[in-house]
Amino acid sequence: MHVELVIQLIINGLLLGGVFALAALGLNVIFGVTRIVNLAHGQIVILTALTCAVIFQRFGITPIEALPGALIGGAILGTLIERLLLRRLPEHAQSREWTSLLITFGVSYFLVGLSLAIFSGDFRSVAYLTDSWHVGGIDFPKAQLLAFILAILIAGFLGILLRSTKVGRALRAASQNLDGARTCGIDIGRMRTLSFALGCGIAAASGALLSMVYAYNPDTGSQFTLISFSVVVLGGLGSYAGAIVGAGLLGLAVSFVGFYGNTHFGSMMPYIVFILVLLFRPTGILGKPATT
Amino acid sequence: MNLRILGFAALAVLLLASAMVPLSGNGYILSLVYISLLFTGLAYGWNIISGYAGYLSFGQITFFGIGAYVVAIGTTRFHAEWWLCALIGGAFCAALAVPMGYLMLRLQGPFFALGMLGLAQSLRIATDTIPFTGGAEGIYLPPGSNAVHVYYWTLGVLVLAIVLTAWIDRSAFGLRLRALREDERAAGTLGVDTTSSKVQAFVLSAIIPALLGGGYAWYLTYVEPSSIYSTEIELQTVAMAILGGMGTLWGPLVGGILMSQVSESLSTRFPQTHLMIFGALIVILLIALPRGIVPAISERLNRKKTAAKARPQEAVT
Amino acid sequence: MSAPLLEVENISRSFGGLRALNDVSFSVKEGEIVSIIGPNGAGKTTLFNLISGVFPPSSGDVRFKGKSIVGMATYRIAKAGIGRTYQVVRPFVRLSVIDNVAVGALVHEKTYAAARRAAAEILELVGLSHLADSPASSLTLTQRKRLEVARALATRPALLLLDEVMAGLNPTEVDAMCAFILNLRKHGISAVGGIEHLMRFVMNISDRIIVLDFGRKIAEGTPQEIATHPEVVAAYFGTPIET
Repeated sequence: MHVELVIQLIINGLLLGGVFALAALGLNVIFGVTRIVNLAHGQIVILTALTCAVIFQRFGITPIEALPGALIGGAILGTLIERLLLRRLPEHAQSREWTSLLITFGVSYFLVGLSLAIFSGDFRSVAYLTDSWHVGGIDFPKAQLLAFILAILIAGFLGILLRSTKVGRALRAASQNLDGARTCGIDIGRMRTLSFALGCGIAAASGALLSMVYAYNPDTGSQFTLISFSVVVLGGLGSYAGAIVGAGLLGLAVSFVGFYGNTHFGSMMPYIVFILVLLFRPTGILGKPATT
Repeated sequence: MNLRILGFAALAVLLLASAMVPLSGNGYILSLVYISLLFTGLAYGWNIISGYAGYLSFGQITFFGIGAYVVAIGTTRFHAEWWLCALIGGAFCAALAVPMGYLMLRLQGPFFALGMLGLAQSLRIATDTIPFTGGAEGIYLPPGSNAVHVYYWTLGVLVLAIVLTAWIDRSAFGLRLRALREDERAAGTLGVDTTSSKVQAFVLSAIIPALLGGGYAWYLTYVEPSSIYSTEIELQTVAMAILGGMGTLWGPLVGGILMSQVSESLSTRFPQTHLMIFGALIVILLIALPRGIVPAISERLNRKKTAAKARPQEAVT
Repeated sequence: MSAPLLEVENISRSFGGLRALNDVSFSVKEGEIVSIIGPNGAGKTTLFNLISGVFPPSSGDVRFKGKSIVGMATYRIAKAGIGRTYQVVRPFVRLSVIDNVAVGALVHEKTYAAARRAAAEILELVGLSHLADSPASSLTLTQRKRLEVARALATRPALLLLDEVMAGLNPTEVDAMCAFILNLRKHGISAVGGIEHLMRFVMNISDRIIVLDFGRKIAEGTPQEIATHPEVVAAYFGTPIET
């Protein structure tokens, strides 16, 4: 029945969107505070996904169980990147922008190399919860559903953190007005480190969740970076709500195009959306512009 | 001034030596030097839009790929001469770069970089999918490929790229590019048509990789999406330009020579870890020598010059 | 007698709900030095941005040498003869001082070499010749301000818009800048529009003063007239200005 098919595609799209959203949130946190675009983002997701695949295979630890570890691991990696590498940036604003871009570019390739060295070029995924619930003729793939729920939870937690805690508010202040925040005595250096830790931690978490949904190999990292950027740009830079909406829309786009077109075109959607949004609606749905 | 003449002299020697390599008859050395020429040329191309105009692109491989595929398709389906196809590829990319530039160059900094990356990825996927471009299986080019021909072609394109860069370095056009790189808004206030200038730079940056890609296809005699739209090639190009010095005349040459040999030996000896080493190298370079080798050296020389100038006055006071 | 060089006619500009400029009109004749004063937030920089083409007015017209320049790209307006400096100076940091000025000279010179020659002359004028080959990043604030003016001068503007060019200068430097601006008239710069807070400068140098407050023009006249204008006094001080 056609309606059922459409509903299934919608469900698939939304579930996919949930995890896209989580990945994108991590990026938003970093960009919001530091104005640095973390090109290594996608690779962190992949690296975690691959790690989860391997530890599931060897030790039977599920990605869900591994989630806290992923969060912490990602946070540590983010802290390292920020403290070791991005502290030494030149003062001149434009040089900062390029240098940080190129540094994270280098880091991402370092991580690709690392992933290849450790995991080789094979595609891996976690064969956990591969079955689905059948409700009213609609399939709810368990793994995806779980990933979606956890993504929402983590996003919600992030939201609470940002709104209700002192640290969270400091982070938001720093992302809205750096000088103002400085004047209020907020330690910008710490905010930067914190945003990187959070951002990369969340990226790792989304990697753990995604390992159950798809198969990955080390080369797919840049695709993930682009997908996350598509979401961020689609939803509007700096807007968390926008990122969620954007992720949902993108998930739907991938789902429908992937089915009615073919899977290849489906996988092209993030890039196409990215470019189209940047060119024709740079503010995204709810955010600040990416052009002059 | 002296440095410039010295540089050109050294360049002439290098070019002469390169031109003589094929005469040695050693195919192995030929391929090694070819790779250096190829990557140095790519670095020069990248340098125009990213170094001089300041619009960092992570997707110049787009034009390299198009150039390669135009040759692949042209020689197999249309039975045309490979170099003619390469020229057509170059012209096509130049034409394509105009509307593309107008659209993409509205994006700032990281968004332009990623936009170009996205474009390259999209093209790779499209090439993988569309039967016309051979899909994932790729295209086998017709026999008759002569590595020496491609070698000289590449050398020629490299010379073109260097001459172009030398002109940009000392021309009004180049000054406009550098101004818009530093501060686009201020440049506009001073009468620079920034849009037109950066699109022109973008077009120049498209032609060079397109021509090089065309040669590469004929050299490999086989094209397929992942080896042509290769992120490794993009990475190495960027790394070489950075190492040598973005936005300088000699930077890509220094970076190209130093790095291409290192990279080749790394990738053959440590296929697994060479990406790691490369990525780490880029990061270390950016921290230690953020502006690259050539600017670091010229800065040191300038300091000696100003110190020398200051001394006579010290003697007076 | 002669047509005004610059005519600003009923321009308004809003940003979202905020009205930055409200129905402002004035003109500048060749050879005049006009100062635009007003409390912070009065809309002075917005006015300059409008005239130099950074963004268009929401309504109204701006005419330069008789032709409307609304909607013209910034670079075209610069080429037409309006030069401008920024309050927060924006030098091309990694370029040399002479290259900075040469950029402006490209409006009239065809080649890089010719532009550098023109730039060298301008550097003489502002007293920065000895720093010609230094990177702009090595300049002090005062020097950067002079560079900012030099760059704008290189475009050979008929009208030069100076945005708070005095800010951050000590009294000696202010006097020097005053003399410099008065001198510009001799060097072919027809008129100068300035935004200033420094009253001493404004009173001494201006042929006419225009006063803005909350985006509206509240007064226009000679320094004497402005000094005693009740609304101006009310907007700024409680007492009349001493000259």
